[in-house]
Amino acid sequence: MTAQARTDAPAVLEPVAVAESSARRTWRAFRRNPLGLPAVVVVAVLILVGLCAPLIAAEPTGYGPDVLQAPSAAHWFGTDNLGRDIFAEVVWGTRASMLVAVCSSALAIALGVLVAVVGAYFRRLDTAVGTLVDLMLSLPVLPLMILIAALAGPSLPVTVAVIAAFSWPEVTRVVRSAALSVVGLPYMDAARVIGGSHRWIIRKHLLPATAPVIVVSVVLTASRAVLSAAGLAFLGLSDAQSWSWGRILYEAQQSGAMSSAWWTTLFPSLAILALVVSATLMSIAYNDARNPRNQGR
Amino acid sequence: MRRRSFAALAATAVGAPAVGGVLAGCAPSPRPGSRAAGATLTVATTTDVVNFNPLVGNSRTDYWITDLMYPRLLTIDDAGNKQPWLAVKYGYHDPKTGYYRIRDDVRWSDGKPVTAADVAFTINAIKRDKPAGNTTFGQLTNVARASAASATEVLLHLSKPDQTVLREVGFWMNVVPAHVFGKVSNVATFANTGDWVGCGPYTLVSAAKGQAYTLERTEPYPWAPGGKPSLARVVFRVYPDINTEILALRSGEVDLIANTLPPAQVDVLRHTTGITVRKVPGLGYAHLAYNMKHKPLDKLAVRQALAHAVDYAAIRRVVLQGQAVSTHSSPIAPVLTAYADPSMAEYRHDPAHARRLLRQAGYRPDAHGRFPLSLRMIYSLQDAVTAQWASMVASDAAKAGITITLQGMDRNTYLAKTDAGDYDIYAGNFAIMDDPVTNMALTYLPGGAINYSKVDDPALSKLITDAQVATPDEQRELVAKAAHLVRDNVYDNVVYMQNFYVAHRTEWTGFVAKPSELLTVVDPASLARVRTRS
Repeated sequence: MTAQARTDAPAVLEPVAVAESSARRTWRAFRRNPLGLPAVVVVAVLILVGLCAPLIAAEPTGYGPDVLQAPSAAHWFGTDNLGRDIFAEVVWGTRASMLVAVCSSALAIALGVLVAVVGAYFRRLDTAVGTLVDLMLSLPVLPLMILIAALAGPSLPVTVAVIAAFSWPEVTRVVRSAALSVVGLPYMDAARVIGGSHRWIIRKHLLPATAPVIVVSVVLTASRAVLSAAGLAFLGLSDAQSWSWGRILYEAQQSGAMSSAWWTTLFPSLAILALVVSATLMSIAYNDARNPRNQGR
Repeated sequence: MRRRSFAALAATAVGAPAVGGVLAGCAPSPRPGSRAAGATLTVATTTDVVNFNPLVGNSRTDYWITDLMYPRLLTIDDAGNKQPWLAVKYGYHDPKTGYYRIRDDVRWSDGKPVTAADVAFTINAIKRDKPAGNTTFGQLTNVARASAASATEVLLHLSKPDQTVLREVGFWMNVVPAHVFGKVSNVATFANTGDWVGCGPYTLVSAAKGQAYTLERTEPYPWAPGGKPSLARVVFRVYPDINTEILALRSGEVDLIANTLPPAQVDVLRHTTGITVRKVPGLGYAHLAYNMKHKPLDKLAVRQALAHAVDYAAIRRVVLQGQAVSTHSSPIAPVLTAYADPSMAEYRHDPAHARRLLRQAGYRPDAHGRFPLSLRMIYSLQDAVTAQWASMVASDAAKAGITITLQGMDRNTYLAKTDAGDYDIYAGNFAIMDDPVTNMALTYLPGGAINYSKVDDPALSKLITDAQVATPDEQRELVAKAAHLVRDNVYDNVVYMQNFYVAHRTEWTGFVAKPSELLTVVDPASLARVRTRS
């Protein structure tokens, strides 16, 4: 009876129609969420600023005559201790911060998802994967990041690699949890029964089933990567050749200007806040929109 | 027996009229620390004490605190001249026997007298145990051993004549009590973490890592007015960085910031009510060292191009806010008036000339004007001022078509890379370059401890080694010639000599600013006479 139902043609076609309507319902629910679209707009603006940085402001280099000038018409965000325009630094910092966010989260997601689905699908590996994830999550991440970044020397690739190396276990934990609940479902058994290879089953059935969790993880990992990169840069462990929000804060701290020139720290901090809050709200809104109980409202 | 002395014949006790303790009712602040005879000065610092042994290389806070406990033989004036302190006289009995004659009225905090035996013990212990990072050890190269000829006379037996050793050892070495440090088999591993015995003006009584270090008055202290240091206690409180230190000073939480101020904050604090900013003369310099062991920095034209690419005046104006002066590209700071040659000229900032020099050296720029010349420059991230001008140097070099990759790193990595010679360009500074002959020997002789350019020029080496055994007049001439060689061959590129500023609460007075950021106003000569305004 069960086998007959599984091979029933209409039953196979049904999920396609359901998936399409589910996507529409998710989008409708997402739009109705008052936090969703504004968050998307903020993230989109930041991405645009990052991409178009050279069109918005000249790259801040060298020095300027007006040191530690408060915000004015000439310098919207004021100037730093070398007379450089902080608006330009924030704009160019957006580019580096976005790059770190995209690259770090891409690496962390790729590794984290791979480990998660392999562990969930091949149950014999699950104990080892679970132990490894627990071990990684128990490590003091920030000190280790600082140590590795200091030993390897501060640079953009090192920052990306260090953040990704310590971000994937979080992704694995979340994705593995979702994958474990899927691998036991009847349609996964059916895929095996009809002779599907492991790779095909993982690619066609397991990964799509965990996609919503992965999407949320991408956004959250990216925003955490920006925070980590800013933290490392604030400790001086960033690429001195390129601007990042953390580097602006670091230079403000080093110059001793924090106590007298509020603008040196306010604007890069606001940029970090805008990205992290909007990314978090976006993922919350998406998660809520995926919830069937919210889709009907 | 020939007797030569280069020091003043007698030490004078600190000369100002004794002020004595400050009466309780005179303290303008109600804070407990500002009470009369029991006055406490709270000093902000940004680093913890790494070790309490003054013979081991240490952090700045270690230096400040141990300097308040263990005396030097000589102190230094604004022009780098050595002045009597524990030693009232020094000189040479013969070319291979030097001597210090020390005061007979100084006592350790446990009541035992400070004698020549303590001085001889300290020198011999440094020679024997080679404490890590000890500055004096390198200066004792020509000292075979030290001995106490009497309770007040120390003899230095030299393996060969050395005209600089007494001045340098006298200033850089802290004398430790033989009856305490002599109990351990190796002074290099002695932690000295408790039961401190010092000779003042203050001696440690408690240490709480990450929080505070408390020192209490030690009497008698012959250099203080009336033999009594003016404060009952000095408390060094640890803060995360200069920003929090400034906030603490503004709120009255601390009375003095020991760290020198970032240049951009000097004017801000100068105009802050209740805060006084005080100038501290510099005695060191900031410089760029081009690693001549790395091609193509072995080529003079490349070094000259790099030197002409830098806008020195802009660095002094923007980063240093006009608080630094040019040394005219000489390794002799202008305050060392006996040695400095005012006729020397600073490398001219001229990117076009830098490009010409590179073309003459065979380099051809690409379509974007960039020469195939990419160099790595290291600097310490803990040195905020250097980190700022390093980025300006890289920007300036880019205008001349030279690519400089900045490698800021934490201090330990920076020191390790420096030791290994793992850099093309070294950006950093020396806190005190007080003795030209000694400093040139360390900086430009092959194998010199701070020969960061890896210079090996026989002509320069001869001038320096000749100066080491020459009379003071001959030394001046030889040093001037050596300075010209250094400048003309870009063996070193001195960017500026910085004057420093420190800030304290206005209700405190009596500070004496000693040269360099190492001594500043926390030198024993200063803190022994600090008091609240009456």
